[in-house]
Amino acid sequence: MNMNLQFLAMTIFLTTIFFHIIRRNSYTASAYAVQSLAVVLLLFRSFLATGSLSMLLTVILVLAIKVFLALHLFSNFVKKYKPGVSATAYLNLPLTLIVVAALSAFAHSRVFAPLAAIVPENAALLSLGIAGMLISLLLMVNRKGILSQIIGVLSLENSIVVFGLFAGLEQSAILQIGIMFNILVWLIITSIFSSMIYRHFGALETAEMTSLKE
Amino acid sequence: MEPLLITGTLLLAALLTLLMKNLRAIELISVSAAVAVFIAALKIALGASAPRASNPDGFFSIDALGAIIALTIAVVGLAAAVYSVFYLRVEMAKGIIGFHRVRQYFILFNLFLLAMLFAVMVNNPILMWIAIESTTLSTVFLISFYDKPTALEAAWKYLIINSTGLLLGFFGTLLYFTPLGEAAGQGLTGWKTLAAHAAHLDPMIAKIAFVFVLIGYGTKVGLAPMHTWLPDAHSKAPAPISALLSGVLLNIALYAVLRFKLLTDAVTGGAFTGKLLLAFGLFSIIISALIMLTLQNYKRLLAYSSIENMGIAALGFGVGGAGVFAAILHIIYHALVKPALFFLAGNIFLKYSSTKISRISGVISALPITAVLFLAGFLAVTGTPPFGIFFTKIYVLFACMTMYPLAGFIAIAAFALLFIDFLKQAMAMIFGEKPAEMPMGEISPPLWAIPLALLATVLLLSFYLPEFLLELITQAVEKYAL
Repeated sequence: MNMNLQFLAMTIFLTTIFFHIIRRNSYTASAYAVQSLAVVLLLFRSFLATGSLSMLLTVILVLAIKVFLALHLFSNFVKKYKPGVSATAYLNLPLTLIVVAALSAFAHSRVFAPLAAIVPENAALLSLGIAGMLISLLLMVNRKGILSQIIGVLSLENSIVVFGLFAGLEQSAILQIGIMFNILVWLIITSIFSSMIYRHFGALETAEMTSLKE
Repeated sequence: MEPLLITGTLLLAALLTLLMKNLRAIELISVSAAVAVFIAALKIALGASAPRASNPDGFFSIDALGAIIALTIAVVGLAAAVYSVFYLRVEMAKGIIGFHRVRQYFILFNLFLLAMLFAVMVNNPILMWIAIESTTLSTVFLISFYDKPTALEAAWKYLIINSTGLLLGFFGTLLYFTPLGEAAGQGLTGWKTLAAHAAHLDPMIAKIAFVFVLIGYGTKVGLAPMHTWLPDAHSKAPAPISALLSGVLLNIALYAVLRFKLLTDAVTGGAFTGKLLLAFGLFSIIISALIMLTLQNYKRLLAYSSIENMGIAALGFGVGGAGVFAAILHIIYHALVKPALFFLAGNIFLKYSSTKISRISGVISALPITAVLFLAGFLAVTGTPPFGIFFTKIYVLFACMTMYPLAGFIAIAAFALLFIDFLKQAMAMIFGEKPAEMPMGEISPPLWAIPLALLATVLLLSFYLPEFLLELITQAVEKYAL
């Protein structure tokens, strides 16, 4: 197995675990940028293999949106709403890590074996991709802060992209550009929404959002 | 030609609305666009129903079920556009919203219609996913339209849960490309190409993929237990948006599930996907029946009723055979009845300024036409004869009884409970004394004429199906009943 590929896949996987360990939102934002940068490098590798200019455009778009724009938005978010941005979780750290370990084991279990066998030489990387997805889902449900929820969704998307790349399910550049456009709009909407939520609730925590009683 | 016309018209309407500074012009643009879209969708439906209608594998490709759903979107879209004009005028007169909010509303309204129709018409599963995700993005600000904490909370829940669900659906979608190998990354793979390769799909991968698709798109359908966002979002949005969300958006996500069901069934047979749809459908019906009894908000009542009705459709598609015919008819009837009920709920809200059932009484005195129509809508949606939903429920139950008697009995018990729930809540609102200071009479004739037209259409379709519609349903049954 190519060592570079393994390194990038491990980086993406480890950042998903890192999201659960860190308690500072500025680090969470940076970790997401690192994770996305690893995805960009994987896509750039595809460009080198195909030489397709549309693929290069995709790489540039992913870099601009997921690395630079997202980092910029999240950093501003943390600075602007520092007192209201929580990084607390429902489960304590040891328990969270136990669940992370269980999810990683589940991703490597027989249940997902058919998916790991799509490209047998990438079986370990495909399992890492699935584990990344499950751990990202855990981030969304375990953390109380809205930033963690946003990054959980984006990390889930990164894990799916990684799985798709290693499974040989990469879509054409035009479709990837369409997906990136959706992510761009999604990022902008979540940013606007965060400020609206802060204005109404004085915090960016789901635990504070208890207006819907029924 | 028509799909391009629809796409172009709605895009142009959104852009023109953005530039306009005149309220009447904005209203005229949106209503005109909705009329043009309705004509185009009708033409699509008539074309698709023609004998031996070709279904080319181009950028746009609309099968019989797609044409039915596109037509329902266009009908409800037109009704919602006209209703919105008069509904928002009242809200403006009350000082609840200003010109800028109305402009924002119509821009997003047109984009929402565009995303829904594009999802049904486009021939590529990834583009369909992008379009369905776009329905979430275009409606999130419509759900938080009133900028209240409850609306914001509902919109945030809607955004996060649906985005997560759709990402899981996207993962499932990708797995269906495994038999294509490197060809997956070349060009836009159409549904026909995927179907042609489906036989080479690993059965285990197909099963896992369908589970992800069902959980993912099923979240958007509102199937329990992924339904938690739906009652909040549908109850907080302005009435015409709730009508579109409940009446037609849910059908689009269900349509996506069905398209992947066909691919899965090609390698696993119909039993696996059928049982899953049956389980989720039945669970949705049970959850709705249990929760509706405790509800204190009439818009949430309608939202839970949508979960129930999507459950019935899932049950019908799950059992197959005659169940598929009933399920298709059911989604048509529901697509017309539920918007009518949400429009009428909008009338009640405009009059009483509350969505709490405890604060609504004597609607029959305050809004006599609305009250009678609400009662008719209640009878229609709960499946009381002579409305068509009665027959579709019976057909689904018969189909279910022959294959899974226990599930059939549970569904009957749940339907009975649902009827009692709905009856209890509707009676509390309609009868009793109206507040003394409240003036009698309807707010504006179009606000009751539009739901009346929809309910009349449902009643007509309960006894007579136009030839083209019957042909489309027959074609859809042939394709989707395994």
